[in-house]
Amino acid sequence: MTVPAGSNGLVAEGISLAFGGLQVLNDVSMTLRPGVITGLIGPNGAGKTSLFNCLTGLYHGQRGRSSFAGTPLNGLGPAQRAACGITRSFQNLAMCPDLSLLENVLVGLTLKRRSGWFSAFVPTPAQRAEQRDAERRAMAALNELGIGSAAHEKPSDLPPGTLRLAEIARAITSEPTAILLDEPAAGLNAVETRDLTRALKRLMRSDLVLLVVEHDMDLIMELCEHIYVLNFGSMIASGTPAEIRAHPDVIRVYLGDDADA
Amino acid sequence: MAVSDLAHASKTGVSARGGHVDIARLSVLALVVALSLLPLLAGGFLLYSLSLCFANALAVLSVSMLVRYGGEVSIGHSFFVAFGAYAVAIVEHRLGLSIAASLPLATLLGAAAGFVFAFPSRRLSGIYLAVATMALALALPEILIGFEKFTGGFEGLYIAQDLIPGIPKALQRYYVALAVLGLVCLALAHFRRSAQGLALLMAQAQPRAAEAIGITRSWARVSIFTLSAAVAALAGALTGFASSTVSPNSFTFFSGVFLLVGSVVSLNGLSLPAALVGGAFITLVPTYLAQAGDWVPILYGVALVVVTLVANAGDLRRFLPRGRGR
Repeated sequence: MTVPAGSNGLVAEGISLAFGGLQVLNDVSMTLRPGVITGLIGPNGAGKTSLFNCLTGLYHGQRGRSSFAGTPLNGLGPAQRAACGITRSFQNLAMCPDLSLLENVLVGLTLKRRSGWFSAFVPTPAQRAEQRDAERRAMAALNELGIGSAAHEKPSDLPPGTLRLAEIARAITSEPTAILLDEPAAGLNAVETRDLTRALKRLMRSDLVLLVVEHDMDLIMELCEHIYVLNFGSMIASGTPAEIRAHPDVIRVYLGDDADA
Repeated sequence: MAVSDLAHASKTGVSARGGHVDIARLSVLALVVALSLLPLLAGGFLLYSLSLCFANALAVLSVSMLVRYGGEVSIGHSFFVAFGAYAVAIVEHRLGLSIAASLPLATLLGAAAGFVFAFPSRRLSGIYLAVATMALALALPEILIGFEKFTGGFEGLYIAQDLIPGIPKALQRYYVALAVLGLVCLALAHFRRSAQGLALLMAQAQPRAAEAIGITRSWARVSIFTLSAAVAALAGALTGFASSTVSPNSFTFFSGVFLLVGSVVSLNGLSLPAALVGGAFITLVPTYLAQAGDWVPILYGVALVVVTLVANAGDLRRFLPRGRGR
C-alpha cells in the first residue's frame, strides 16, 4: 500500500522510558501509517505494553517525541489523545458490569455527544433524537463485528470473545482515526480469534491507523502488513511478515526460542 | 421506573424480556397513587412524619447517587442538606420569597457549594474523600452559629410562608415533598440512560478505559459530587419547608452519618421505593421508637451490619430487578 509522504500517521521517535533504575524502553521509534495494519510483537517483558501506553498517553517517556498527523502529542494524557481521535482497547477486558453490551459501546461516543446536563435529567426532543442516533451508531458498530444479537445482554453473561469484539466496537464507534489494540486475542479460542481477524480486516480503511500488539504470532502474521519486533526495550526489527520471518535476530530471540514466551 | 429497571438503553429489549418490568413499574405507580391518596385517610402527625420522610428520602438519594455513580462515600452530606434548608429560610427572611423561588435557588446554591468542595478534592477518593466530607459536617454547627446574623444562631429560623396560600399547611408540606421526590426519581431514571450517566458509570467501573475514551476521572468526580450536593440541598430545602424551622440541632455530625445509614439500608438504590425505605428508616424509626431512646443508634448499627452482610453475600441483590440479564 502506498502512502503519501505527507500523511505520516502516528509517529514515535526515540522514546525512552525508565521506571526508577529499570530501563523499559530504549530509544524506540515506530511509524504507524494510515491504511496499514501494523503489528507489534516481542517476548514477554519486551516492553510492548509500555510502548503502547506511551502511545496512548498513560505513560510519558523521559525522552522522545510522538506526533499524530503532524500534531505533537507530548504531554497529552489519555483523554486528550482520545479527543485527537486515538482510541485503544485493554489487555484486561474493560467493560462496565452495570451496563448492557450496547451501553458499553455507547460510552465510546461520549466525546461526540452534544446533549447538555439539563437534558441528562429532563427528556427533550433534541436529546431523544440524539440518543436514538447514538444507539443506532453503537448498534451499527456491534453489527459490524457480528455481535449485534448480544446488544442487550450484560457483560457477565457473555463469553470473552464477544466482550473483546465489543471493546473493539466501542473503539470504532466514535469513528477514530487511530485504533490501538492491546492483545486483542488474549483469552480467545481459535474460532473467536478467526472471527476477530476477519472483523479487523473488514474495518480497515485507507485513512485509519491500526496497531495490534499481540502474542499470537499466527494472528499477527496473517493480519498485519507491517510488523515491529521489540526485545528488552529495543526495536530489533521491522518489516513485512515475510521479512520478519526471515530476520535472523527475530528468529533467535523470538521465533527460534520456545515460543511460549 | 426504578433506575435498575431501565438498564437497557433502547426500548427493543422491554417487550422481548417479559412482563416483570411492567409489574415493577405498576407497583411503583400504585405506591405513588396510594401515597397521593393517603391524606384523605390520615392526618396530623402521620402526614408530618411522612413529609419529613420524603425529604429525608431525597437526602438519602443524594448519598446513593454518589455511591452508585461515583463509587464514593460521603459522611458529610448533612452539610449540603443544611445549605439548602438555610437557603430557604434566609431567602424568606431577607427577601420575603416563598419556596417557589427558594427551592430552585437552594438547588443551584447546593450545586455551587458541591462544586466548590469537589474541585479542590477531585483527586481524593475512598477513605480520604470520606474524611474530607466529615470535616464539612463537623464544621457545620460552628459555621451556623458563627454567621448568627444570617442563620439565627442557636435558635435558628422559622419558615412560615406557604407555597399556595389557603391550602392547609400539612397538605402543602406533604404534597410538595412527595412531588419533588417523585420528580427527582424520574429524572434519575432518565439520567441512567443519558450520555453523562453512562460516562459516569464507566468512569467508576473502568477508570482507565473511560480515560481512553475521553472521560477523565476528575471530570467524573467533580460532576457527580456537584449533582449529588444539588440534590442534597434540594432535600434540605424540603426538610426546612416540611418542618417549618431550621436550627443547628437538625444538622449535627450524626445527621450525615444517618444519611449514609439510610443509603446503605436502601442498598444505594435510586428508585422511589429504595429512597422511601432509606428515608423511612432514618425518619420513622427514631420517631416511632422514641421511647427506645439510647437504643436507636444501636438499632442503626445492627441494621447496618445486617444489611451490609446480606447485600455483600449477594442474597438480596438476586431478588432485585437488575439481575434481569440471566
